[in-house]
Amino acid sequence: MTQYLIMCRSLTHAQRSARLLERRGISAAVTKAPQGLSKRGCAYAVSLHKRFDEAVRILREHEMLTGKLYMRSGETYIEVPT
Amino acid sequence: MIYLDNAATTLIKPVSVEQAVLRAMRTMASPGRGGHRPAMLAAEAVLDCRIAAAELFHVADPERIVFTMNATHALNLAIHSLVGVGDRVVISGFEHNSVTRPLHALHADIHVAGRAVFNPEDTLAAFQKKLPKAKAAVCTHVSNAFGYILPIYEIAELCREYRVPLIVDASQSAGILPIDAQRMGAAFIAMPGHKALFGPQGTGILICGETGSPLLYGGSGSESFLQRMPEYLPDRLEAGTHNVCGIAGLHAGIAYVQERGTAAILDHEKRLLGIMARELSDSGLDLFLGDPEHQCGVVSVRPGRMDCEGLAQQLADRDICVRSGLHCAPTAHQSAGTIETGTVRFSFSPFVAEEQLRHTCEALREILSSSS
Repeated sequence: MTQYLIMCRSLTHAQRSARLLERRGISAAVTKAPQGLSKRGCAYAVSLHKRFDEAVRILREHEMLTGKLYMRSGETYIEVPT
Repeated sequence: MIYLDNAATTLIKPVSVEQAVLRAMRTMASPGRGGHRPAMLAAEAVLDCRIAAAELFHVADPERIVFTMNATHALNLAIHSLVGVGDRVVISGFEHNSVTRPLHALHADIHVAGRAVFNPEDTLAAFQKKLPKAKAAVCTHVSNAFGYILPIYEIAELCREYRVPLIVDASQSAGILPIDAQRMGAAFIAMPGHKALFGPQGTGILICGETGSPLLYGGSGSESFLQRMPEYLPDRLEAGTHNVCGIAGLHAGIAYVQERGTAAILDHEKRLLGIMARELSDSGLDLFLGDPEHQCGVVSVRPGRMDCEGLAQQLADRDICVRSGLHCAPTAHQSAGTIETGTVRFSFSPFVAEEQLRHTCEALREILSSSS
């Protein structure tokens, strides 16, 4: 199953984003982002496997989309254009 | 024991508070330091408290709730964010040392506005006169020494009119009076967790209308490559490991306040205030009482024939806990004319029963009659 990561500016932001998506019925988890995805060091992301486009739309509507988007392919992450 | 030192710390807390602290101690690690279950449980507990505080104080964005060690820490953060060396700052005549000492340390040009206790018109007129050209204003919502409720929303409006950022010290009002941060529009609102929000000691909140400048620098669990604090809240102002156990307890305390409602809590405190006023009207004590509309939570008294510390000690000998002296608020005592003697302060909480207060008044009368 494809994994998507929505990068967040902070742990608090990631938690709030994941909770918002969960409230909308989208299964989402907070995870530490792989080091290579953040040029500034430790970061958190929202991880999800389904309804990615819908999740992005919801976060955008709530002005909570602040980071880059990635799709996992094997052991690498490919940036998804916003 | 009758505990009437709630303006310092509420000793009697809802049972849910200690349960939450214990649960956190047993199951939670550091938020933002790992992705494992104990770290994420801690992160969830901290966020839950942020959200609860944001709801209680009408803060649109929970990320603007910053956790601090206490109100003093929160006030220092706010003051150091807005005030530079020598800046003109307007304060009320009822500020605590947690406001005046940081301002003095910055050699601020301090202008005291309004000295008349229980007189909101005087307070407002003085702020109106002194606000122009000020770099910042700092005002307590309720005097910790006298329970005087200052007209904080009107002061906030004046500050907006003069474009002066306002720092509100809500140490004695948070959990008792309704606080609407959006309506107030203050730059910062500081409060302790361990008073009327019923959290443990070592907890505090700074509501940030502005981003603020860090006082402490260190790990935030974010942007670790960078050798500066993150630009965004709450990480910018929360360096180091959170007091997770305290914050979990604070959340339980806030939940108690939300469930009971500030209106019911205030009603109870007003009833207690009325009892003291009636029972002690002919006691010979100097009672600092205002219009009930302008007072809550605290009654200060001054015994004519004995010193305040002596009276407080005699009450302590009867297992009645009050506080005597200047209450770390010499500015307030200068305003009220009690700087030489201080006062004995009785401060309430929802866990003080009316009968306990009647018993206290009886003890006071006995002590006074035996000293005459």
